[in-house]
Amino acid sequence: MARPSSNGLVQAMQSLRLSSQFPQRSLIPSSRHLARAYATEAETETNTAIQPESIPDLPVQAAPEIDFSTSFLRNPARIVPASPSYFSGSPRFVDHVLNLESLQARYAALPQLPAGEAPPNGLRLNRIQPEMVPGEVRTVLDSFLRPGNPYAVVRETPELDENGKARAKGKRKESKAVVHLVEGEGEVLVNGKSIVEAFPRVHDRESALWALRTTERMDKYNAWVTVRGGGVTGQTEAVTLAIARALMVHEPGLKPLLRRAGVITVDARRVERKKPGHVKARKMPAWVKR
Amino acid sequence: MASAWCWSCLSRLRPTTRAVLPPPSAIPRLTSAPFHSSAVQYAPPLKKKSNSMTQLKYRQGQTLRRKKKKTRKALRKRIILSNPNALEVEGMQEISAENIVDARLRGSVLGLPVPMLDQLRAVQAFKPKQGWSIFRRPGAVVRRDTVEMGRLFEKISGEGDAAEKGKVVKKVVTGTKGSGKTVHLLQAMSMGFLKKWVVVTIPEARELVSGDTAYVPVEGSKPTQYIQPGATSALLMRTVEANREVLSGLKVSQKHDIAGVKPTSTLEDLAKLGFQDPALAWPVFKALWTELTVTAAAPGMEKDFQTRPPMLVAVDGLAHWMHNSAYRDTDYKLIHAHDLVFVKHFLSLLRNGQAELKNGGMLLYATSTSNSPGVYALEVALDQMTARQAGTKPTSPEYPSAEAYSNADPRVLDLFKPIEGKEPQMELQTLGGLTRDETRGYLEYFARSGLLREPVNENWVGEKWSMSGGGIIGELEKLGRHVRSAAIPTPAAN
Repeated sequence: MARPSSNGLVQAMQSLRLSSQFPQRSLIPSSRHLARAYATEAETETNTAIQPESIPDLPVQAAPEIDFSTSFLRNPARIVPASPSYFSGSPRFVDHVLNLESLQARYAALPQLPAGEAPPNGLRLNRIQPEMVPGEVRTVLDSFLRPGNPYAVVRETPELDENGKARAKGKRKESKAVVHLVEGEGEVLVNGKSIVEAFPRVHDRESALWALRTTERMDKYNAWVTVRGGGVTGQTEAVTLAIARALMVHEPGLKPLLRRAGVITVDARRVERKKPGHVKARKMPAWVKR
Repeated sequence: MASAWCWSCLSRLRPTTRAVLPPPSAIPRLTSAPFHSSAVQYAPPLKKKSNSMTQLKYRQGQTLRRKKKKTRKALRKRIILSNPNALEVEGMQEISAENIVDARLRGSVLGLPVPMLDQLRAVQAFKPKQGWSIFRRPGAVVRRDTVEMGRLFEKISGEGDAAEKGKVVKKVVTGTKGSGKTVHLLQAMSMGFLKKWVVVTIPEARELVSGDTAYVPVEGSKPTQYIQPGATSALLMRTVEANREVLSGLKVSQKHDIAGVKPTSTLEDLAKLGFQDPALAWPVFKALWTELTVTAAAPGMEKDFQTRPPMLVAVDGLAHWMHNSAYRDTDYKLIHAHDLVFVKHFLSLLRNGQAELKNGGMLLYATSTSNSPGVYALEVALDQMTARQAGTKPTSPEYPSAEAYSNADPRVLDLFKPIEGKEPQMELQTLGGLTRDETRGYLEYFARSGLLREPVNENWVGEKWSMSGGGIIGELEKLGRHVRSAAIPTPAAN
């Protein structure tokens, strides 16, 4: 090898260390302050100890044979990652996959439940008959479960308050709407104003009240709406969502109808961020030669 | 993972041949649910990408020339009262002197009689964007306020049970945009014509203060007042054209310092003197006004004296009279609208306790929301009037007043200030929406005219009522003529 590699250097150092079986102190007292004992420093110390002037006349000894089986494995020259998939994009995930795949391969022969009885999970390990599941598999599978009882948390269903009023929120784009819905005559106030003043366009008014319209409940409820932020479209569709949710509090049976009308599906889209190097979110500057 | 498909079922399905299916590009992909019924024609136009191939590099001679300014204005201002394509509504009643007080007609649309249309056109009762052109014939819906106004007309004319002949009613008409203030004035005018009143109107208050007509200072007045001869002449022409029948039947009963007035001349002849010579217009108008408001003839002229009819004064766009006009004085300062004699005359009629209309009548001064300069003092004054009508005393701490340092115009506040104990008092009339029944009648009229092709039922009307902000009539008109997309079916409620 023409170029001295780091491995070559390490070998040389090792041989030096092995050759000096009896470490001898330098006659000249060293003024070096050895506060910390790093491996490299210790080595430099041994280096300094073999100064040509200070070496007494000793019989030259051949270096003993290098035992590759012990020291090289014990003290690796560089830090090696524990996981072989360390340099992949998602090492933990890959490790899990490999682990599960190896488990699956090992226990493929175990009898399995029929397709209908197995828990609804894609893993084949889950389908092993319960009495036959090895302890190793059980611990691995349990490590993926969230701690605690998943059925302990019960979601509060929204209810009407003591005045018979349903309150619900809706969001769309940058707008947030809060609706108070009571049984009434079909009067709607948006931010304290009439809906005509709040949304001058017929189109916007229609879309704001779409939940009531499709269910033919327009003249059966009064709505008190507060909507903030965003533009006109965002505000109207935030109101749509909020009214639909409030209506479901009054009449839960309307849910399939509202689902079909598309008013309880949340549109979670937001404005895409601008990226560096782009003019807008996606637009690139015009290509110019040179 | 088990597939959701049942393969045996799928295997029985035969793929449709490509030729039968429309190309995938032809089927529009719905990215989000459409929460509306707007037709495609109302969609905002797509922005065209600029293409160097389609754009012309140089200006070329255009074959399609823009019309002249005068023509364009005429097109913009023209009033079309009939649409021969609209269906004739069977059994549509006409407004008459008898049925204006009929509460059973609430919610029905009453047609305007054809002979009256010329009179209404003369007083410029119709405005260009009121949707007259979508129906076969002009008509207006009877609402609660209309019936109440009809009762007032009957009362002042001295008919009916509770006759109060000679009573003066003063009203400031307000309401949200599209609530029908101007059409309310039109209905008042039509009732005035039916009852043989004298109808004087100022259809656009703005025209008097926008600096478009000539103005002349009055000699020796302090502060200087200004006469607008052109506008006065136009007012005389409007009044004579519309009230010819009434004015030609009345003889001059006072002595006037105007050349050409004979003791035998009628009021029509008197008013006509102001047509030709604008310099004479203001004195002629004053003379005509005196003639119309007298209760007895001057000594020696009693022979042909007839009692004068009540008067209706209708002004639209009141807020324009409540700030500085566009006219300038000799120091190049803006002249306040209240310093214009014409404006001052009509505003002084409105003052609380002022009873210049001796023969009775009605003053209707409407505000406008589409063309309004936004005068803070007027807003305060109207708030105060609302509070007074609600029973708040002007001395109480809840009584609204102008904010400190808001620089509210004292002349405006003074005009509307309460004067206790003197009749007649000014009233504030706020027009709201139609009731559900009235809405139904109004929308049925659309359906019977062939504009609306949907079954008008309780549910549908309730929906439109909510959508129009509680029966705002201008919004109902938009909904009535709204073309809907047929593609979206309304899911039926179970």
